Amino acid sequence: MAEDFSTQGMLEIYLYENGQLLERLQEIVLEYKDEECFDEDSINEIFRAMHTIKGSSGVMMFDEVTRISHKLEDVFYYLRESKPDNVPHMELVEHVLQVVDFITSEMIKIEGGQPADGSAEDYVTALDAFLNKIKNGEGEAKKEIKENVYVEPQQFYIAPMASSSSRFYKIYLTFQKDLPLANVHAYKAVYSLKEIAEDLLHYPEDIISDESAAEEILENGFKILLQAQCTEEDIRGIIQEGYDIQKVDVYECSAKDFQQGFDSVGSEIRIDLDAPIEETSVAGGEMIIMAPATQEVTEKKPIAPGDFVIESKGPGTGKKLAKDKPKKHDKAAFMSVDIRKMDMLMDLIGELVIAESVVLQNPDLQVPGLKLDNFTKAARQMKKISSDLQNTIMSMRMVPLTNTFQKMNRIVFDVSRKLGKDIEFEMIGDQTEVDKNVSEHISDPLMHLVRNSVDHGIEMPDERAAAGKTEKGKITLSAKNESGKIWITVQDNGKGLDRAKILAKARKNELLDPYKLDKEYTDKEVFQLITLPGFSTKEAVTEYSGRGVGMDVVVSNLQAIGGSLEIESVLGQGSQMIMKIPLTLAIIDGIVMKVGKSAFVLETNLVKEFMRAQQDMLVMKPDGQELVMVRGECYPVLRVGEWYQLSDYKLDMEKAMFVLVEIEEQVICLVVDDLVGKQEIVVKPIPDYVKKVKGLSGCTQLGDGSIALILDVGALTK
Amino acid sequence: MSVNEKQRNKYVTFKSGNEYFGLKIEYVNEIIVHQEITEIPESDDYIKGLINLRGKIIPVIDVRIRFKQEPIEYTDRTCIIIVNVNDIVVGLIVEKIAEVVEIKEEDILPPPSIVIGGDEKVQNKYVYAIGKVGDSVKLLVDPDRILKDEDITVMEQAIEENTEE
Repeated sequence: MAEDFSTQGMLEIYLYENGQLLERLQEIVLEYKDEECFDEDSINEIFRAMHTIKGSSGVMMFDEVTRISHKLEDVFYYLRESKPDNVPHMELVEHVLQVVDFITSEMIKIEGGQPADGSAEDYVTALDAFLNKIKNGEGEAKKEIKENVYVEPQQFYIAPMASSSSRFYKIYLTFQKDLPLANVHAYKAVYSLKEIAEDLLHYPEDIISDESAAEEILENGFKILLQAQCTEEDIRGIIQEGYDIQKVDVYECSAKDFQQGFDSVGSEIRIDLDAPIEETSVAGGEMIIMAPATQEVTEKKPIAPGDFVIESKGPGTGKKLAKDKPKKHDKAAFMSVDIRKMDMLMDLIGELVIAESVVLQNPDLQVPGLKLDNFTKAARQMKKISSDLQNTIMSMRMVPLTNTFQKMNRIVFDVSRKLGKDIEFEMIGDQTEVDKNVSEHISDPLMHLVRNSVDHGIEMPDERAAAGKTEKGKITLSAKNESGKIWITVQDNGKGLDRAKILAKARKNELLDPYKLDKEYTDKEVFQLITLPGFSTKEAVTEYSGRGVGMDVVVSNLQAIGGSLEIESVLGQGSQMIMKIPLTLAIIDGIVMKVGKSAFVLETNLVKEFMRAQQDMLVMKPDGQELVMVRGECYPVLRVGEWYQLSDYKLDMEKAMFVLVEIEEQVICLVVDDLVGKQEIVVKPIPDYVKKVKGLSGCTQLGDGSIALILDVGALTK
Repeated sequence: MSVNEKQRNKYVTFKSGNEYFGLKIEYVNEIIVHQEITEIPESDDYIKGLINLRGKIIPVIDVRIRFKQEPIEYTDRTCIIIVNVNDIVVGLIVEKIAEVVEIKEEDILPPPSIVIGGDEKVQNKYVYAIGKVGDSVKLLVDPDRILKDEDITVMEQAIEENTEE
């Protein structure tokens, strides 16, 4: 097995690459799941992915993975070449997904250090059956697909068995650049044509023992003259463009052309040929060519080396044609980096930013009369670089939500099919980027929400029809940036949340205040009830949801990263779950404020307004709650100094600074002593040793090296 | 190994009140002079706050308050012993660092039944042994017990209740 040699590094790369390929594969399949069939590009891509997985798994000796990927490769090979139009698309989609799942599960085993012991037998059998089905369904007898197997190189001999129905072809193969052992690939093509060939010539001729032929082939393409009783399509069925062959050109020609060898090529097709003549002559001598004894062939002329048209880079050569092909997207070069190193870099840059402000705000610089022109110039330059550095590391950590969303696509697909529901899935804004940490944390909650929507939200098709809705349900997953947070919305047009049912259930489970009437609860409050532990309105527990764990887990997961969940719903029309998640957990833009001797930081985008208040703006409610009147609106007042029982804070409200803060549509007014400034804050956790303090979400280091506490207004308002 | 050998039986001694206490040197990361402390609201009185030690944010405990002694003003002599106990890094504020002494195992005695301050139970929580150095004695303290004790459970409950509200 793979453990026999030191493969840890290889294994990691193998797992990483396969992971990427499988993700991409799943993405393609799901993208096309609602179409009639896969288009050519996607078939090619799936084929290539399977081919790569097959190859690397072969090297790593994971036989079952190799086997199944090989089988799927076969299927797509057939699809690509024969282009059958009667493929049951849904079935195919399922097959591919099954294979993806199988390989993924094996990958997980391998990653966990377990042997990849899953058996691909069932899948292989299923795929075989499927392949046979689509082949036979074709009606006409297509040739068996040639598998890409290596054969022992051997000199071959083609017997002349030409008949009058023979046709003649010129075939030009252009190989992928940098393909190793191009001569062997060329030989493979020749070998696979052998079965149908009545006569066959190729150039370069010695592709087996002459290694320079490989370069020649790569440089100028590989040329084959073929006499056979077949159509152009058959040839294309045998020699296919793939990972090795970039382009196949097949031209039919007359017997005469054939007899003349490569020199009779008309002006529109030139054969490029740079090989030294001596070499070809030697090579030619080695090849045994039996002249076909057809009647059409009147003149026979042995192929002489001199007959070759020597021309490089003529018009219409393989090379040129290759260029005509639309260029593939330049794939960005990626490198995987240990996330711990990224975190360390991030920390260091955080330190650097702080150290920089320690230098730039150094009290030594405050000496009056000091000439600092040059210093300021240098400082400005340094500031620019460090902020660029910070932005770069931040962007390095940003990943698009695409992968996370694709997983949801898969879930919708699986669950809806199992439940017999017809659901359309739409993704909006999946390119939205979030911090890597954040994206890891939202996958689970999002999955719960999506499953809930499929299972609880969308009704069965007949129910939907009865309710006058389209039978096909719809789930929309969208992401957007809004006020410094990412909003991820799962929306369905299902039955919506039943307020009365939720309330009844909550009463039963004694989750409600017994003295409060049902109607006193707002919709929002009622819907929030479903996020309580042990709450599920679904009567039947299904495989996917209904156990009542889930929503509370969703909420606690979100809270752990400073996010929140909002639920909106209209009975009969559907519901909408909005997750609001901070963009990044590491750096925030903050306002530094002083209260007494302590410094506090508030996220800048929460702040609505700073103001000074007059005594007459303050109102005291009977319960002792202070309110401040601003332009006719009343806001609750929270004196930070009093709240935290700090010493030496300003008691005179007219001298204090009022900060209006808005969070989740609630505005409160914090009273602090003074504002210090606005700056980028590197969030650090408060050490675990110190017990969690309500309203504080972390701490940070200020420019002068002192520590400020970060206020979590959301917690303060609760 | 040699470092451990050298450190064996060595204790950092510090003064708190009228007594000298000893702390096994293997717990001690470093000793720094007193620096500005940022208060954390709503925490126990003995947790004085946070300090910034070269970019690392570390909570600090006032040992005098922890030992139920009268708090005193911090001076130039006030030091912070940075200890690492089971990977929790905490600063201990002490009045005065005395010296590093070697106390042989045979000079270490079980804790006394009566110690300073009058409240025997409280004291005994932190002092696990007595070390004789020449004519004087050092009270050997267990930093783990200084960091946490049964109070924590009470505190945690209180916090949980708070957050549930």
